[in-house]
Amino acid sequence: MKSVLLALAALGTGAGAYVALTGAHLGTAAPAAEHDVMRPLSWSQGAAPVVRTNFRPAAGETGIGHIDINAPIRMAQAAPAPAPAPVAPAAPPAAANGGAAPARQVDETALRFFARQGDTRRLEAEVARLRALYPDWVPPDDFLSVPAETDPLLDAMWQLYAQSRYAELRSAIAERQTSEPAWTPPPDLLDRLAVAEARVRLVNASNLKQFDTVVRLAAEHPSLLTCAEVDVLWRLAEAFAGTERMLRAKDTYLYVLDTCQNPSERLATLQKALPLLPRADLDELLARERTSPDGEPEFAAVRDDLARQSVATGSEQADAVIAPDDVAKVEDLARTGDTASDPLLLGWYRLLRGNAREAERWFRLSRDRENSAEASQGLALALVELDRPGEAEAVVYDWRETSDEIRAVYHAAMINLLAVEPPVAIEPSVLARIVGEIAETRDPTAGQQLGWYAEAIGQTETAAEWFLTTLYWKPDEERAAYGLAIVRSRLGDEAGVAEVQRLWSGRSERIARLGEPETERTRRLGAVPPPDGTVAAEPSPSVAVQPRVAETARPAVAAVRPAPREEQRPPRQVAAEAAAPARRAERPAAGRTPRGCSTGFVAPDSLAPAAALTRGWCLMELNRPMEAAAAFAAALRGGSEETRRDAAYGQSLAYLRLGLADQAAVAATQAPQSQQRVGELNAALLAQRATSAFEAGRYVETILALDERSRIVPEQNDLMTLRGYAYMGLRRYGDARRIFEAAAATGHRDAMRGLAAVDAAKRRY
Amino acid sequence: MSRPAAAARVLALALGGLMSIVPAGHADTVAAADWAAYSSRFVEPDGRVIDDGNGGISHSEGQGYGLILAAMAGDEAGFDRIWSFTQTNLLLRDDGLAVWRYDPRSRPPVTDVNNATDGDILIAYGLSLGAGAFERPDLDTAAAGIATTVGATMLRRYEGRTLMKPGAAGFWEQNRPDAPVVNVSYWVFEALPVLGELAPGADWDGLARAGLALVAETSMGPRHLPPDWASLKGRPRPGQGFPAEFGYNAFRIPLYLVRAGITDRALLEPFRHGMREADGSVAVVDIASGRATAKLADPGYRIIPALVDCVLDGTRLPADLAEFQPTAYYPSTLHLLALAYLADHRPDCR
Repeated sequence: MKSVLLALAALGTGAGAYVALTGAHLGTAAPAAEHDVMRPLSWSQGAAPVVRTNFRPAAGETGIGHIDINAPIRMAQAAPAPAPAPVAPAAPPAAANGGAAPARQVDETALRFFARQGDTRRLEAEVARLRALYPDWVPPDDFLSVPAETDPLLDAMWQLYAQSRYAELRSAIAERQTSEPAWTPPPDLLDRLAVAEARVRLVNASNLKQFDTVVRLAAEHPSLLTCAEVDVLWRLAEAFAGTERMLRAKDTYLYVLDTCQNPSERLATLQKALPLLPRADLDELLARERTSPDGEPEFAAVRDDLARQSVATGSEQADAVIAPDDVAKVEDLARTGDTASDPLLLGWYRLLRGNAREAERWFRLSRDRENSAEASQGLALALVELDRPGEAEAVVYDWRETSDEIRAVYHAAMINLLAVEPPVAIEPSVLARIVGEIAETRDPTAGQQLGWYAEAIGQTETAAEWFLTTLYWKPDEERAAYGLAIVRSRLGDEAGVAEVQRLWSGRSERIARLGEPETERTRRLGAVPPPDGTVAAEPSPSVAVQPRVAETARPAVAAVRPAPREEQRPPRQVAAEAAAPARRAERPAAGRTPRGCSTGFVAPDSLAPAAALTRGWCLMELNRPMEAAAAFAAALRGGSEETRRDAAYGQSLAYLRLGLADQAAVAATQAPQSQQRVGELNAALLAQRATSAFEAGRYVETILALDERSRIVPEQNDLMTLRGYAYMGLRRYGDARRIFEAAAATGHRDAMRGLAAVDAAKRRY
Repeated sequence: MSRPAAAARVLALALGGLMSIVPAGHADTVAAADWAAYSSRFVEPDGRVIDDGNGGISHSEGQGYGLILAAMAGDEAGFDRIWSFTQTNLLLRDDGLAVWRYDPRSRPPVTDVNNATDGDILIAYGLSLGAGAFERPDLDTAAAGIATTVGATMLRRYEGRTLMKPGAAGFWEQNRPDAPVVNVSYWVFEALPVLGELAPGADWDGLARAGLALVAETSMGPRHLPPDWASLKGRPRPGQGFPAEFGYNAFRIPLYLVRAGITDRALLEPFRHGMREADGSVAVVDIASGRATAKLADPGYRIIPALVDCVLDGTRLPADLAEFQPTAYYPSTLHLLALAYLADHRPDCR
């Protein structure tokens, strides 16, 4: 019981505070002036300094329903008696509900009950509530000294209340009123019950993001808005933010910081605000920071998180402007702390911004602290950027199985290593594992690069074998065919060269022109003449080809960043994502990295087709598909056949990312595409079509689109789940169940949910 | 005359004297013992009405039926627990209507914020009955809030008539090619004039007239029965994506007609012939073929054609239907609603 009394003594000045939402609903008569409309609910805690804040309505905020939420919200701290008081005294709820407000005996039965139960939390809340309602009321020193409750039925009711069994309490009250017509429930019990029900309802509405309901309930039950119910205040702030009333959201958080004392709740308030408020508002909140008893600023942790969040944004968006202070703070944290995550963040940040040298430093620090897949991935990318592919290969080899992305980084490292000019001697053990990896993954880009490496170190016959193997994996791999023709020519196999030329007739100009005078060939191959207009100095064929190949294979930094961790998402969103083909697949040479691509506005028509194409890919990397589509359209208006082909492909990808399946289909027809691209695009288009048909409730079409798609590519789990839901929409529960079962058997979460849904959906719904 | 009785007369006048004027739904028409048996089986102590035939979920419809039956049984304590649950767990939508589905096994229990308009109507009607039975004006205030939103947002003009949108999302223009899709069993005819009094701004009379016309217009197929879900785009057809059946939804149509005092023979005759099988069970009927896809022997279903027999021909109820035994939530609900009508208006049939 000691704890109860201690808790009471500790009840701070703010515990009884209310946030007053305005309310025409509270008034009994139509008020004449604005300050009458609002019954500025006050709370009284004499010890608090007088801080009175009046808030004006934010511009552009609109009201909801019949509650005049447009009127200013006031959060006021009532002064002790001597303060000049434009603030009306608080009226007890009875008055607000239209009855008279006689001075009444403060009902302390609840207090006594909670004290006897040792229920400190409710006891505190009740004291706070009564103080707010009855400013002159002084809590008794010791509730336990009061004679015990003598009404066992009422006691049982408080028991139900304490156990949050509000419906049963309602029932018990009605039952007793029926059996004992003379009995009336204590008004305090009814008040508390109404507030408790409103609290549950508010929390439920908040969980469903029914923000107008949250605000309405808060307005109707201002006594919920106390420091004792700080969770309700957070939810109210979230509801304001969720309905674009940022000023009110900020004011609500500020109210908590100005009024509530609990250190962990104060810190949590900042953490709640962090994802919702703009930085300037957060800074205003941070200005309310106090120094804790141990001398530490109470929001230090949040300040750190804020800086991390800022740098994280900067590591994902090349055009985001990041305050140097934030970067400096995270650098400080990375140096002084011992976590692997802070240096990792800085590594990505520097890498995206083109500073591979700094990036290398931070990735190394992170990797030294914890050798993780992500740190190795980042470090390898930085090393590739720094033209040190040998080191990159060694760093990421052990992690290549972790994910497709990391495997792509490993392949980039090894391809770049093979492409170094002049060729470097690769240690036999390293070369052996590279060869093993290429053979295992059948990567045609790597395969032909290995051919060029063999050719460069004089193993001409081995080179021919690798080019042949590559063509076996991917018959339309022109680079391998070109290499094959060259090494056959070197081996004096003129018949073999002629065979390649015959097979590639009409498909590759440079293969067709093998054997023509060098200068002529180089020029026609499209080598860019130097600015002085003279033809480039004569490179040997392999030299001319290899660097470009290496460029092609080097993945864009942004494309191989680890994807953000996926939250659980409803199946349709997952399916929509599946509609976008793998971004890295067959990237054209021009589309490399967002680095060097200006992020400002550039009129697409002002660019030459090749430049427009480059810009299109760059904008895709930045996830700005709308602008990318325009850039690709500009590239489509001229340029070489290859440019047009790539532009058409890029434009369909851009439309797919925008969810515009029809436009994507049209774009794809603007230039002939390779078999692989056609298949990939069709699969993506059909997935998109299935998803939009499903969203429109057209389940038959959904299934038709999925059927068509499954003839091109195997159906992955998320689309199977979509199919299951489409069957459900058609009431084909047996089919739905079969599909969900199949997908669920692989552990797919949405499919398991689908299974449960089939079981629930029966007869009438 | 109680207010619902007066309201029924308003409906009768609106319908041009189509039916006899019968007050329905005043308190004490559900026997206390029957209600006790029902609520001990289907109502949790926390006021949640359980649809045991649907995996133990709850919904706005069930909470509405619970309020109506509790009010008609005069059980204020039972009424209050159901209302408390309804308010705190379902009446969450920004527009003030109820989310339609609550699954206690899911976290959170509500995952879809859509409403079901019949659920909202049943809740508002139940609240209004409670206001009268227990003399609690606060319940009327809550009922009026729901009725006002339904009137303003779910009543829609279409081709010169006032129809009912079955839910806020889906069913109507732009959502689907065969829109509008309606559910004729969502017209709780006895409740419409009551809601009309609570929220006078909307065209409730027009809604009732359109509903009555739709009962006839959407009846089709060899058995001349309406499908649960009907598209009104062009000639009425079963709605796409729903089973083309006269099913669990539409069973309620004749019950609702009779309870509202609409005993027109031409309207009711097709139902008792179409829904009853030779063995007395009630059929779920495939609209196009007229074949029974399921035959249901539960007394709660069988009492519906028997009720029509009573009001058209004065036929007495078979003995096994006159006694109430709880079976499953849905048929038991229909059973009590039918018995309540008979107790009040046709004691001769029991």
